[in-house]
Amino acid sequence: MSMIDIKNVNKFYGQGESSFHVLHDINLSIAEGEFVSIMGQSGSGKSTLINIIGFLDDEFEGKYFYYKHPIHEYTRAQFSKLRNQNVGFVFQNFKLINTLSVGDNVGLPLLYAGEKRQAIKSRVREVLAAVGLSNAGEKKPKNLSGGQQQRVSIARAIVTNPKFLIADEPTGALDSQTSREIMTLFKELNQKNKTTIIMVTHDEKVALQSERIVHILDGRILSDEKVGV
Amino acid sequence: MLFIELLKTSWQSLRVNPKRSFLTMIGIVIGIAAVITIIALGNGVKAKILKELQATNSGKQTTEINYYPNDSNAASQGFTEDDLTQIKNNFSATLSSVKFKRDTKNINNTVFLGNETRTATLSLVKGGNQHYDIDVGRNIAKSDNVINNQVALLNKQLAIKEYGTEENALDSALTVGDDTYKVVGIFTKPTDDYNVDFLLPQRTYLYSTSAQNGSIIKLTFNKGVKVSAASKKIVSFLKKNGSSRKTGSYEYTDMGSLLSGISKVISSLTYFISAIAGISLFIAGIGVMNMMYISVSERTQEIGIRLAVGASARSIMLQFLLEAIMLTVFGGLLGFLIGWGTAALISLALPFKAIVTVSSFLLAFGVSSLVGIVFGLLPAKQAANKNLIDILR
Repeated sequence: MSMIDIKNVNKFYGQGESSFHVLHDINLSIAEGEFVSIMGQSGSGKSTLINIIGFLDDEFEGKYFYYKHPIHEYTRAQFSKLRNQNVGFVFQNFKLINTLSVGDNVGLPLLYAGEKRQAIKSRVREVLAAVGLSNAGEKKPKNLSGGQQQRVSIARAIVTNPKFLIADEPTGALDSQTSREIMTLFKELNQKNKTTIIMVTHDEKVALQSERIVHILDGRILSDEKVGV
Repeated sequence: MLFIELLKTSWQSLRVNPKRSFLTMIGIVIGIAAVITIIALGNGVKAKILKELQATNSGKQTTEINYYPNDSNAASQGFTEDDLTQIKNNFSATLSSVKFKRDTKNINNTVFLGNETRTATLSLVKGGNQHYDIDVGRNIAKSDNVINNQVALLNKQLAIKEYGTEENALDSALTVGDDTYKVVGIFTKPTDDYNVDFLLPQRTYLYSTSAQNGSIIKLTFNKGVKVSAASKKIVSFLKKNGSSRKTGSYEYTDMGSLLSGISKVISSLTYFISAIAGISLFIAGIGVMNMMYISVSERTQEIGIRLAVGASARSIMLQFLLEAIMLTVFGGLLGFLIGWGTAALISLALPFKAIVTVSSFLLAFGVSSLVGIVFGLLPAKQAANKNLIDILR
């Protein structure tokens, strides 16, 4: 079943004479359970695309259906709720709040979902164990290595049991050994939990570990092909 | 998100930077403390005025007129039964009663001791008193008062001066007015009110002098009478007709006008200090605003992350607004306590107590929250309206 359906999406930065056309008539369908890599040079518009897919950007032209819901008609307030309940983000530079403990960082999406402290605590323990950081709950993110911080960030992304994960260059700031570990974790999540993963990368080796690669160049989809398996 | 969690989040953020949070609070603390101080003093003087002007439960007001003899050794007490009768007859329309206010301490009287008549000071005791030590003999007991026993205590210095030794003074006779008292003890090391030549049992003394005279009279007025003007009339009447008008002066201490004078000073001070506090609160508010703007721009990443994981713009705004309000409310409460303390200290030097009421507390709480809301709103809105895409890029 098709989960994400993007139809003729265009995106401009700026307005009038100086506006810049980032995305040209993008059409893309992603089904439940897929592991998709989006590849392209910097400035090709791949990050812009996943921002739209991940409900971060509500200013685009065209149509976006999510489980048949017309996202392009949603208001900004509905977007926050949509983000909170359906998608988890993993960023290149982890994006953890340094003044909060690891546990509080991971529990943040649940807090905004309106969960109770007690329920949040046990769920956080669960996901931290799932990413192999059972004992890091009380630590501050600063005291962890890059690989560990990315694991925390993944734990935060999956804590709400989202329908899909958006990963923007998740291995970009990590060495190759840690990168491999993170990719193993992603594959595990995809295969065991059936979590849909949409990942942006410019590293061919990383992309090859997914099931499908979408190439983007200058805001247009160049190719869309299955790999591996 | 639950409101209580928002509160916790804001509290955590403030604790990340305790020094900055504290410095931002200082302006609020000073402003609120100044307002609470002056209000507490104002309340105090108002309560005191009410108490002075309405002494009796029925709403009748009382005043006192003092007699001051020109010669401090004069034996005359000032007022006689005759004076009282005259006042009663002449002012029956306004007065409901006139009484002597009995002195019980430091009374001047003519006594006969040893072989000579002299003016001496005496105080009255109820018996079993601890305000002095007994050197020789016994203390005046409560039972002495009950049976109107005519006994007296003599000051040690006077005893030695008159009789050579304390023992010699025991059992000697002391005549006060028409009554003779027997010296049963010698006292020493008295406290202020008892630093006199003799101590006599109070009931015995008052019984024998049978309310003949006194140096203070207490006037009780009928309801609705302007006591200040009426008291002045009675004083000028006494100056013409009083029995002791030639040997001393009658004076009426107008506590009402004294206090209303203080009250006027305080209420004009209130405006002045309120103005200063207002400026202080305004500047403090701008300080809060400034700090919140800095905080918002420092924490842009945090805002972006919170938005990305599903925080609504509203909860971001509330988080920052609550930070500002917490800051000012803590400042306000601290200022309230400091103001209370300051007012209590100042009132030690004034003839009334500072009074802090629930409404003062609510004022401090309300004003400080208001400052937080007014000056926290714009930075909080800025935080909530940040463009998520720009932050995360």
